[in-house]
Amino acid sequence: MPKELDPLLLSQLRLAIMSFLMVTREAGFNELKEHAGATSGNLSVQIGKLQEAGYLEVEKTFRDNYPHTICKLTPKGVEAFENFYKDLKTYFNPGE
Amino acid sequence: MADQEERKLNPEESLRLIRETIDLAKNRVRENGFQFLLWGWLVVIASLTNYWLVTLGFAYGKANLVWMVMPVIGVPASLIYERFKGRRYRDNNIVSKWYGLVWLGFAVALGLSLVLAVRMNVSPIPLILILAGFSTYLSGILLRFNALIAGGIVLWIGAAACIYLPWEIHVLVQAGAIVLGYLVPGYLMNAQVRKAHA
Repeated sequence: MPKELDPLLLSQLRLAIMSFLMVTREAGFNELKEHAGATSGNLSVQIGKLQEAGYLEVEKTFRDNYPHTICKLTPKGVEAFENFYKDLKTYFNPGE
Repeated sequence: MADQEERKLNPEESLRLIRETIDLAKNRVRENGFQFLLWGWLVVIASLTNYWLVTLGFAYGKANLVWMVMPVIGVPASLIYERFKGRRYRDNNIVSKWYGLVWLGFAVALGLSLVLAVRMNVSPIPLILILAGFSTYLSGILLRFNALIAGGIVLWIGAAACIYLPWEIHVLVQAGAIVLGYLVPGYLMNAQVRKAHA
């Protein structure tokens, strides 16, 4: 019986954010926005949910005198993503 | 894009999204083929020039000066290219970082091997080919690009061939091995990136 998949990561935008951060380690808000093709509002909401779950941390800094938001995966987020990927593979190959 | 917030993925879609993101990271490294090809061509040109100068009767010490000229051309060309390319995701990508670390390891090992070869009075070329082969092989695994893995093996064959060949031929083996085992996979990688963007 395959394990139930993490519902937080079964959302298109949240999974796009998490998988992008898995390969980039950290990313600026605009970079994430461009990658995910999302609106600022929607992206903020989803980042907030992931932050609330402890999957990512948000750092607000300044770059060239403009506010710059950086998102990073936390160790809990990395673990959640790895477990999600593992569970997905088990879903397709239950025998593994 | 309010509907994206609500968009729930099924397991197939989730897996596809993750794989697409990872492929994106790999393609960003593959897109950086300029550096890869630049150094490949410099080694080939330097090898052939070195061989040609020796056949013209230049002493080995003088003919080997081409290896000094190579970084004098290569390093500024690399730096100018990086300066003007203005890559936006320069250091973020984890695949880029691993790839960079593989080739940094190569550079360190190459430096040590060259010193060792000079001190022990042995041909440095088999050592260079072993190291270049290993780095190319690892790059192929990292980028999941089989032509690079095969290229690494070609470079190792070149290194093994040097055992049976006289020193003066080693530069020609090096030029041939770099063309077949390094430049050809490099161009195949470029072609694949262009196809992906078409």
